[in-house]
Amino acid sequence: MSYAIEAIGLTHYYAKGTQQQVAAVDHVDLAVERGELVGMIGHTGSGKSTLISHFNGLLKPSEGKVLVDGVDIWRDKETLRQSRFKVGLCFQYPEYQLFEETVYKDIAFGPGNMKLPKEEIDARVRRAAEFVGLTPALLEKSPFDLSGGEKRRAAIAGVMSMEPEVLIFDEPAAGLDPRGRKDLMALIRSYRAETGSTVIIVSHSMEDIASLADRVVVMNHAKIAMQGTVDEVYSQGDALREMGLNVPDITEIFARLHAQGLPVPTNIYTVADGVRALQALGGRWRA
Amino acid sequence: MNDTIIEFENVTFTYDSEEGEAPKTPALRNVTLRVKRGEFLAVLGHNGSGKSTLDKLCNAIYTPQSGVVRVNGLVGDTEEKADQIRRIVGMVFQNPDNQIVATIVEDDVAFGPENLGVEPQEIRRRVDDALKAVNMYEFRLREPHKLSGGQKQRVAIAGVLAMQTDCIVLDEPTAMLDPKGREEVMSTVHRLNEEMGITVILVTHFMDEAVAADRVVVMDSGRIVMTGTPAQVFSQVDTVRRYGLDVPQATELCHALGMPGCVLTIEDCVAQIAARAGGDAG
Repeated sequence: MSYAIEAIGLTHYYAKGTQQQVAAVDHVDLAVERGELVGMIGHTGSGKSTLISHFNGLLKPSEGKVLVDGVDIWRDKETLRQSRFKVGLCFQYPEYQLFEETVYKDIAFGPGNMKLPKEEIDARVRRAAEFVGLTPALLEKSPFDLSGGEKRRAAIAGVMSMEPEVLIFDEPAAGLDPRGRKDLMALIRSYRAETGSTVIIVSHSMEDIASLADRVVVMNHAKIAMQGTVDEVYSQGDALREMGLNVPDITEIFARLHAQGLPVPTNIYTVADGVRALQALGGRWRA
Repeated sequence: MNDTIIEFENVTFTYDSEEGEAPKTPALRNVTLRVKRGEFLAVLGHNGSGKSTLDKLCNAIYTPQSGVVRVNGLVGDTEEKADQIRRIVGMVFQNPDNQIVATIVEDDVAFGPENLGVEPQEIRRRVDDALKAVNMYEFRLREPHKLSGGQKQRVAIAGVLAMQTDCIVLDEPTAMLDPKGREEVMSTVHRLNEEMGITVILVTHFMDEAVAADRVVVMDSGRIVMTGTPAQVFSQVDTVRRYGLDVPQATELCHALGMPGCVLTIEDCVAQIAARAGGDAG
C-alpha cells in the first residue's frame, strides 16, 4: 500500500541559477504513513515550511518527487488539482487569510472550489464549525468581528471542511495563550482520532510535539537531521540544542535528576508523567 | 515621583465602535499601575485580556477616555507630547518582518534617529552602540530578510535603543521564534535591563519568560487581577489557571508533589527534589 505522502530526493533551490543559489530543502526522503501524526521541528530557516509547501503542490520541486497516494502530484494538471484537495495546508496565523463577508462563506470557500453539491458543502461547513467549537450563530458574523481565538478556529475549519486526507499545520498555536494552546492541541488530537486522517504539525513547541506526535522529524540545514519516536529524539538533548532546539523543561529536570543518580526514567514529557515517576519511588513521594 | 517612569491612574479605554454598532466593552477598566524606573515588568493574560491595549497606551499610540497615563510625568494629549513620549518609550512587536523598513541592517537601525534629525556622526555612534548592545554588530551590513527570527528581533530592539529610549515595551516578541531565537532575545533584553538600566515591559504568553522578571502583572477582562513577584504570583497555581494561564513546569511539578515554597526554575526544582530524595535515602 502506498504512503499518504512520500518525498523522494526532494530538493528546492531558491534563486536557482544565480550566485546566491541555496538549497532550502536538500535531497530529502520522507515517507508518511496513512493515519500517522508526524511532528516536525527545526530552527527558523531549517527548511520545514519549504518542505511542507511541496506536499500539496504550492511549490514545485527543483529536483525529486512528491507522491500523494503513490502518485507524482506533478504528473498532470488534474493530479495536481486533486492533490490540493487531498492535502490541506493550514499556514501560520491562518486568520490573516480570512476574507469573506461571513464566517460561513469563508469555511465554504474550499469545498466550493471542489465543485461539491450545495448540500454537501453546507453539511461540511456545519461539521467543521462544530468540530472547532464555533456556534451556528457565529457563522453568520463577519470574520473580523470574531475574537482572536475564534478567528484562528474559523480559519482552521476552512481547511478541515475540505476533509483532506492529510492535514498539515504550520505553527498552529503561535500567539495563543496557554489555555488556547492546550485547547487547540486537544482539538487536533480529537480530529485525528475521529477522522483517522494523517496529520503533520510543524512547531517550535517541543512540549506540544511531545504530547502529540507518533514520530518526530528534525530538520536542520535543509536536511532531515534526525527522526524517530518522541523517546528516540528527545533523549538527545545535546544534539537538539546544537541545532538551536531544546527539550521541555520537565524533560530536562528528569534528565538532571537521573544524572545525579536518582532512579527515575528520563523519558518524561509532561508534568503528570513526572509526578507519577517520583511517586513510584515510594517513601515521601507517595501522594 | 522621580523613580516612576510610567504611571496609569484609573485608566479606562474603549475601542471605537463602528456606526450603527453597539458600543464595545472597555478593553481596559480602571487600571492603576506604576512602573518603576529600571524595573523588569512582565504582563500576562489570556488573548483579549487587555495586555496589548495596555502596551499601546504606554507610548501614546492610544489615549484613554478616562483616567490618565503619565510617562516621565508627561501626558500624551497633544501630538507634540505624544512624540516626546515615543522618544522615552519604544516598542517591539511580535512579527519581526513587519518592523523592518530598510534593506541593510544598519540603515534599519538608523531609521529612527534619522527621522529625528540627529547629526550623521551621532547617528553612526548610536547605531554602532545599539548593534553592539544586542550582539548584532557583525551583521550590520547584512540584508535583514536573510537573518533568523531571533536576529531580526534583536535588530528591532537595536532600532529602539538607537532612539535612546529609557523604556522598551515588547509585545510577545518571541511568539514566532524557535527555541534558540527565544533564548537570544530574552538574554538580550535582560542584559539591557541589568547593564544599561533600561526599563522593560514584557508582554508574553510564555510563563517561563516571566519567571526572571522583577514583578508580574496578570490581566483579565481589562483589569489587573494579580500583581507581585514571580514567586508570589506563580505560587497561586489555581488562580493563575483560572485566568487561562499556566505556571512554569518546574513550579507545577513541585506544587503537585506538595513541596513547600514556590520553585520557579529548573535548577531549584532539581536541587529541591534531590535534597528530598537524599532525605529519603538517609
